[in-house]
Amino acid sequence: MKQTEKFDPNLPAKDPFWFRECFLMPMPLGMKAVNLRELLHILREVDESVLYYHLLQSRLTATQPVVEYPNEFALWAATALQDSKLAEKLSSFDPFDYDNMEQVRGAMVDIMEEYLWDLPSVPWARSGFEFHFCEASMVVIRSEIPANTLKDFCQGLGKVGLDSVYYHFFEARRRLGMRQIDDFSYWMEANFGLPELVEAIRDIDGYFYTLREIRDTLLELIHQHLGELCGHTK
Amino acid sequence: MVTLNDYTAIVGEEVVGQLYRLAEALGPRRFIHINSTRSGGGVAEILSRAVPLLNQLGLDTVWEVLQGDPDFFDVTKSFHNALQGQDVRVPQSLLDHYKEINRENARKFTWEADFVLVHDPQPAWLINEMRSQAKHWIWRCHIDVSRPNIKVWKFLQEIVSQYDASVFSMAQFAQNLPHPQYLIRPSIDPLSEKNRDLTPEEIQKVLDRLGIERDKPIILQVSRFDSFKDPLGVIQAFRMVRKHTPCKLVLAGGEATDDPEGPRTLAEVMEAAQGEPDIQVLLLPPDGHHEVNALQRAADIILQKSTREGFGLTVTEAMWKGKPVIGSAVGGIVLQLRDYSTGFLVNSPEGCAFRIRYLLHRPEMAKRMGKLAQEFVRQHFLITRTLRDYLTLLSLLENPGSQLIEL
Repeated sequence: MKQTEKFDPNLPAKDPFWFRECFLMPMPLGMKAVNLRELLHILREVDESVLYYHLLQSRLTATQPVVEYPNEFALWAATALQDSKLAEKLSSFDPFDYDNMEQVRGAMVDIMEEYLWDLPSVPWARSGFEFHFCEASMVVIRSEIPANTLKDFCQGLGKVGLDSVYYHFFEARRRLGMRQIDDFSYWMEANFGLPELVEAIRDIDGYFYTLREIRDTLLELIHQHLGELCGHTK
Repeated sequence: MVTLNDYTAIVGEEVVGQLYRLAEALGPRRFIHINSTRSGGGVAEILSRAVPLLNQLGLDTVWEVLQGDPDFFDVTKSFHNALQGQDVRVPQSLLDHYKEINRENARKFTWEADFVLVHDPQPAWLINEMRSQAKHWIWRCHIDVSRPNIKVWKFLQEIVSQYDASVFSMAQFAQNLPHPQYLIRPSIDPLSEKNRDLTPEEIQKVLDRLGIERDKPIILQVSRFDSFKDPLGVIQAFRMVRKHTPCKLVLAGGEATDDPEGPRTLAEVMEAAQGEPDIQVLLLPPDGHHEVNALQRAADIILQKSTREGFGLTVTEAMWKGKPVIGSAVGGIVLQLRDYSTGFLVNSPEGCAFRIRYLLHRPEMAKRMGKLAQEFVRQHFLITRTLRDYLTLLSLLENPGSQLIEL
């Protein structure tokens, strides 16, 4: 246990944490790219919501159980173009390094443009692996799971759907306008202080984790810093 | 009767709990589904399970079936083929008949509803006659319309454009339409006869009845005998494997009665399999769900070597049974299988043979892939996911123009 041993997990919060659940509905645009140049061209034109979908929201859709590539552009480069060098570059690209989606777009366009510049020919997607652009709409509901204490919080985190983890961990950064801050650490800091735990949560490299892994990591960090609160075992 | 709570053991309390919370937030609504057949085919199969479950969630849900005559179904079959890309000409007299049958049905439908979900082209025209009887009209297209015949699509596009939204199964099926288009993946019901758990005795009984011995590893492909499923390519791959490793092949499925090439394909398969005791060709009846279930559970490796595929629910079913699946890199199979993770994608009989041999020699890998595949289906392609998508869709339609709704 790293944090103060005197912390009382039953200490009531000033504001309870209400877990919210989100329900994502992908919306295909009917646009596709068959090669890298087309992808780049469309990427320049589409709404930010399209970029956001393929970089982040898509992890709520039919994602494979093991995260190999953290966004759909990198995955496409690897599986459709079979270009591992480009897949490496796009995998290392982290949208949370930028202040807004326009900057994100600019950075992605730069990567692809520079990559194309050095290539003797344009890489094409394998047949059946064209990139189909989507955006999404989302319904958010407040679940009936409030957390008045950190103990409640741990128990609630184990009960809510993984989309709730997505909403509070990823969507929060867009909503709060602070790219490194998620709802969980924000609430803990505001209600209990706990600077070491808060910092550890903000250090989670969630971009490379599945939602299930993020939930497990959160519970593990709370366990490490505050002791056993909700029967979590590694 | 199957209840929502029966799914808790399969998908977890959190998933079923979410359905109740989402339905409660939506509130009581009247929801009508319309298709053109009560039984047979994937749409009827999923509706027969989804409609009672939606009612259990508090939505007053009714399933209506459009009544037609043989001429009507001939013309809608032509629509279906044309939407899948075949060069079909539909004479004006038959288009008029299509409209007339819809008009006749509209006179019989006296309900009023908050939402109407119209499945596929057969009942699509109803909106012209009944627009005021429901607040929101949604067109649900289950067909692969990635490359539709332009003339037939133009006719349907005019009708579909009147709807408030449309829903497709894959992003590549989306069209140029003046309303929001949504993506809902197909799903399977883990409690149906085709997918429920079977005891080893139940499986053995089916194998005994079909005359299948388990003396060698079983390679299986379940699909109708049409050329798009490439059964001859499967036999070719099997022969390559058999040179190196003992195994047997089972090709099981129904006859493609609506495919003019169907009987020829079946004859070619029978001829190719002749004199090969390790190849068994089983012609199953359309309602042979129990047999398909048992065969999939008895198999060691399952193939789907299609040359063209919509979503590929047979792949989903095989994955749900925890089996390693080798599928062609076409249609929705690409979305479901990932090399070394949830299965293998291949592009040729040689690739198929190579992956079969790989898995036969690495049973631990086969087991791991099957397990990952089953979890993948549990997360994304079970009927509970479809219910959740329906509820989300209805919530969004009540708040048009907004991409984020807080209930």
